[in-house]
Amino acid sequence: MISIRVLAIAGSPRRHGNSEILLDWVIGHMKEDPCVTITKVALTEADIAPCRGCNACEKLNRCVIRDGMDLMHDQIIEADCIILAAPVYCMSICSQAKGLVDRTQVFRSRKYVLKLPVVSPERKGKRLGLFISTAGQDWSYVFDPSVPVVRCFFHVIEVRDKDIRYLMVRHVDEKGAVLKHPGARDEALKIADEMISTLKERLSE
Amino acid sequence: MKNPVKVIGLLGSPHRKGNTEQLLDRFLEGASDAGGVTEKVIIRDLSYSSCKGCNACHKTGICIMNDDIPLIYDRLLEADCIAVSSPIYTMGITTELKSFIDRAHYLWVRYYKQGEHLITPEKKKNRQGFFLSTAGMDTDDVFITTTPMIKPLFNILGFSYCSDILARNMDGFGGIAGHPWALDSAYKAGSRAVIEISAGIPCMGRNSNSQQSLLDDIPE
Repeated sequence: MISIRVLAIAGSPRRHGNSEILLDWVIGHMKEDPCVTITKVALTEADIAPCRGCNACEKLNRCVIRDGMDLMHDQIIEADCIILAAPVYCMSICSQAKGLVDRTQVFRSRKYVLKLPVVSPERKGKRLGLFISTAGQDWSYVFDPSVPVVRCFFHVIEVRDKDIRYLMVRHVDEKGAVLKHPGARDEALKIADEMISTLKERLSE
Repeated sequence: MKNPVKVIGLLGSPHRKGNTEQLLDRFLEGASDAGGVTEKVIIRDLSYSSCKGCNACHKTGICIMNDDIPLIYDRLLEADCIAVSSPIYTMGITTELKSFIDRAHYLWVRYYKQGEHLITPEKKKNRQGFFLSTAGMDTDDVFITTTPMIKPLFNILGFSYCSDILARNMDGFGGIAGHPWALDSAYKAGSRAVIEISAGIPCMGRNSNSQQSLLDDIPE
């Protein structure tokens, strides 16, 4: 039987809020498939410090900071599907999630400076990514500044642009507001289904 | 005698004495040479936590966290000119600056939800805000995500968004010292800001040298 490993990252400082509810809908649905193993990490408990910009990873091929990113680094490599859930604060992903994204600099150094593989060749081009986000504002463009950051995150961890899915729900501010959103849950389940079936196809090739 | 023009430079880089700090220092030198009183705030060295999204400020307009952040915002509100700086990490401002801006939420609530203008629109005309940034990459869109975060920050703090000084291709130029105009441009901007503020001349709207900028349509 195929095994599909999903890494689900809850990036919000608020536990069990709107972005995490969306995340739980997605992984709850994915988990119904016996092929799927989910690892869920809440960044509030992950102990990941911000990048110091020292650029040592360009030479060392690893980060000089010893913290929760050691574990997260390996989890990112092992996963077939990486989900990042983060709310929009002040027009971009919350600083906790940006903290994690900046720490993926080690993958960027590996890929573009040292020209080393991030995942083994047979897994390249097979991984999927999902960005889940929520915003209090109802502006149509409220997620626009987050998308380039998230695309960068996925690029360096070897998830191609066309393999990134987006589940972004705006105009949900108070805790749990997404529960009353008319289409959010259906959209979450639909994305979960599509991702698992795509991964099954790719991993059985 | 008139009070000297107060200028605060905010360093959003975790890295000391790097490209961004050199650019900010030139801005502050320009301001100081023109007679301004300058001060540099290093976000990395502040004692603070990130916004927890508790929304308590939605009711009160006050942040429940007692740390350095509200003190710094009080100082920024008293300044005549601020220069906010950050390098670009993964297509955005650094975690440090993002974290600092996220904590301005209580001021955002006062400004947008409670309609409390801490600085009157008349005063805002003569208060100048600048954003300084550096990026390793040399692509047209490398600074594209910064405006949507900086513009509301300047709005709520009552600064006219006068100019961006954006220096890209640090990798190609071998650092800011190799860049053809950035340091010079920062010096002149700092100096001009002090002269204009002293003379009561508002800056002529936003002048950006970025190739592309997202969301100029964020409401004032």
